[in-house]
This record gives sequence, structure tokens and C-alpha cells, in this order.
Amino acid sequence: MDSGVPQNAGYLIAAYILVPTILIAYAASLYRRSRRP
Amino acid sequence: MTIAQKGRWLVITGLVLLGGVYVRALAFTPVERFQGPAQKIFYVHVPSAVTTELAVILLGLAGVFYLFLRDPRLDRFAESSAEVGTVFAGIVLTTGPIWGKPIWGTWWTWDARLTSTLFLFFLLMGYQVLRGAITDEGLRARYSAVLGICAVVLVGFIHLSVYLFPTLHPQPIVLKPSKPSLPPEMLLTLLLSFGVFLLLYTGFVMQRYAIATRRAEAFHG
Repeated sequence: MDSGVPQNAGYLIAAYILVPTILIAYAASLYRRSRRP
Repeated sequence: MTIAQKGRWLVITGLVLLGGVYVRALAFTPVERFQGPAQKIFYVHVPSAVTTELAVILLGLAGVFYLFLRDPRLDRFAESSAEVGTVFAGIVLTTGPIWGKPIWGTWWTWDARLTSTLFLFFLLMGYQVLRGAITDEGLRARYSAVLGICAVVLVGFIHLSVYLFPTLHPQPIVLKPSKPSLPPEMLLTLLLSFGVFLLLYTGFVMQRYAIATRRAEAFHG
């Protein structure tokens, strides 16, 4: 049955993957820079 | 434990708690009837926007205090807050269009809120470029402080832009003079996410501050 709620979960999944990816990439960048002599 | 190690642990804790926010948002927070699941992008978009605003306000305050006190620790804090703010602004500018496409039918529109947020991102990038271009420490700190203060003015404009100009962007529903206009389950998820983003900001700034301190010590021998 069509509840009338838009089916757009793909956008949600994309955003929810993107956010930790950016955060982890930045955390890794800080870690690498802190190890640089 | 050093400040960098403490910051690292805060970030690890923040990332784990972000997973908790996802579980709460996906399983325990209702789906908005008109926007569908994509509305839940709101739980990462809004906290990252508020964290960006906070980062820039603290950058500006550090700039004001630096101009009076000339304490290099304030300059190092400003440098750290600006870089972390750039990262969070990047999250705002990527999650916003991902929400906008299914809800507005377009990834981007050149209205006041979106354009001024993009301009803030460029201003923060410019701040990093400015710092990289000046070798004299005192001059770099002074110029950076002035640019940081300009960025705070822009944050005020961004926050008020939805009232001042016709825009597709929704009006504030939490940071406004009246009570938040959200059901309690959604408000709780949003507040938890705010807490997690604040933790991540703190952890990142501590790590970045440690790097800035080490660079300054290396420079002075």
C-alpha cells in the first residue's frame, strides 16, 4: 500500500556514509601530521 | 597523556557516539511524512552547521583577544578552530545538496543562505592560504585575527539571511527566539547529535592545537 511517504532513503544513506568518511579522513590527516618529524 | 592524545580519544569517542546517533535516528526517530527518510539528513546537517558557526565565533573571539593581549596561544587556537571549522563547513555544503535534491528537486540554488555559506567556506580556505603566505609570526597572527573577525560578521549574516531574503532554505527551528518547533523524539536525536559534533570539534581542535604548538616550538628551536 502506498503510504504517500517519499521513498528517498538512498540520499540518506549517501549522506550518512559521507559524514564519517570526511571525519575519519580529517582525523587520519591530523594523526599523520602529528607523527611528522 | 598529552593534549593530542586526549583529543584523539575524544574524536574516537565522538565517532563511536555518531554511530549511536545513526541508530537512534534510523530506528527510534519517526520518518517525516512529507520529506520521507531524506529528512533524517537534518540530524547531521544542522549540528555540523551549528558547529561551523561555533568554530567561527570562537575564531573571531580569539582574534579580538589576540589583538589586545598578543598571546600566541590565542593565535594557535584561532588557527585550529578555523581549520576544524572548514571541515565542518565542508560537511554542511555536501549534506545540504544531498538533502536538497529529493526535497527541492535541485542540488543547489544561489539564494542568500546557501551562497553566503559557500562564501564562508571560501573565506575559511582563504584564511588558511593567508596563514601559509606570511612567514612573520606577529604579522600573520594580526592579519589572521582581522580576517577571523570578518568571518564572525559573515556568520551573523548567514544566520539571519533566511529572515532577510526570500529563500528556499527552511527557517531556523531550534536556534530561534521561540521554543523549538520539533516533536520531542526528533528534538532529542538532534540534541544528541549536537553533543557528538561538539565533542568531535573539541577533539579535533585539541589535536590541531598540539600540531600548531609543536610547529611553533620547532620554529623557535
